[in-house]
Amino acid sequence: MDSARSSAGQPGLTPHKLLIAGGFAVGKTTMVAAISEVRPLLTEEKLTTASVGHDDLRGVPGKTTTTVALDYGRITFASELVLYLFGVPGQERFWFMWDELAYGALGAVVLADVRRLDDSFPSVNYFETRGLPFVIALNCFDGAPRYEPDEVRDALDLDPAVPVVLCDARERGSVKQVLITLIEHVAAQRARAAVVAAPAGR
Amino acid sequence: MASQEGWKRREPGPVVRPYAVTGGRTEPADGEVLDLIAVVVTTSRSTGAGSEPARRTPEHRKIINLAHQPTTVADIASDTGLPVGVVRVLLADLIMLGAVKVVRQRPAREMPSDDLLREILNGLRAL
Repeated sequence: MDSARSSAGQPGLTPHKLLIAGGFAVGKTTMVAAISEVRPLLTEEKLTTASVGHDDLRGVPGKTTTTVALDYGRITFASELVLYLFGVPGQERFWFMWDELAYGALGAVVLADVRRLDDSFPSVNYFETRGLPFVIALNCFDGAPRYEPDEVRDALDLDPAVPVVLCDARERGSVKQVLITLIEHVAAQRARAAVVAAPAGR
Repeated sequence: MASQEGWKRREPGPVVRPYAVTGGRTEPADGEVLDLIAVVVTTSRSTGAGSEPARRTPEHRKIINLAHQPTTVADIASDTGLPVGVVRVLLADLIMLGAVKVVRQRPAREMPSDDLLREILNGLRAL
């Protein structure tokens, strides 16, 4: 099947993906919808032990798969360059999906609510471990106490290079700025990695 | 569980359990898992004499029609309303029949190029 699977350097549609991660109800879908057309996606996944205790399986002993609905958005820049934004469900029970979603992603936005900052710990840990560039976007809910980005950086014990920005996930212009910050961060990380990888000879 | 994030109430849809359309198969026949943004396209063999149309289901034909233009796995799943796992099984069938080919399996593992990042930045700024 090698020939059928070959990519052969063929030009054409070149999709790339960004992840929008964060805790429950922090505004991930709102963020995707603010800047792109949201499309529904069903994934039919095996129930793992992570679901035990969450999903009531009494009376359905044979049920071993479950349908998980994800939303994603598409931004088409040119006819062939398309950015896919995948919302990543933050709860631990969905971690089985993260590796697949993260594979080959350019970077991630961790959307955080300052009132529930600990909800973003799993996302931060995951992207740090994977070495995937990410930015923290603090969703400024109406009435939420304001914190300075530096206070949040300390609370999350972030690498100083990781950008922390304020945003309004409902506002297209605000979300656009978050994505620009992310791509600039990816470019900076790339430049840094190139310096590290370069031979030390002079 | 109905109120938890990620579990959404949806229209009932076709009264067929998802993997019924694959004959109960849950793994792609060639064992290869296509990425969500892998790009596939229908080949000229999809309408050829040797393409075993009899073995195809309406869902196979739907995918062939959607992939006349290069299309991602995620978009096929979204457009058909079928779960991603089901789409992967059906796509593997079509790839083995030569009716569909993969033009881009996965995004590159290596770092993105400066040119690509610049192109994305320019695109975002122009939104």
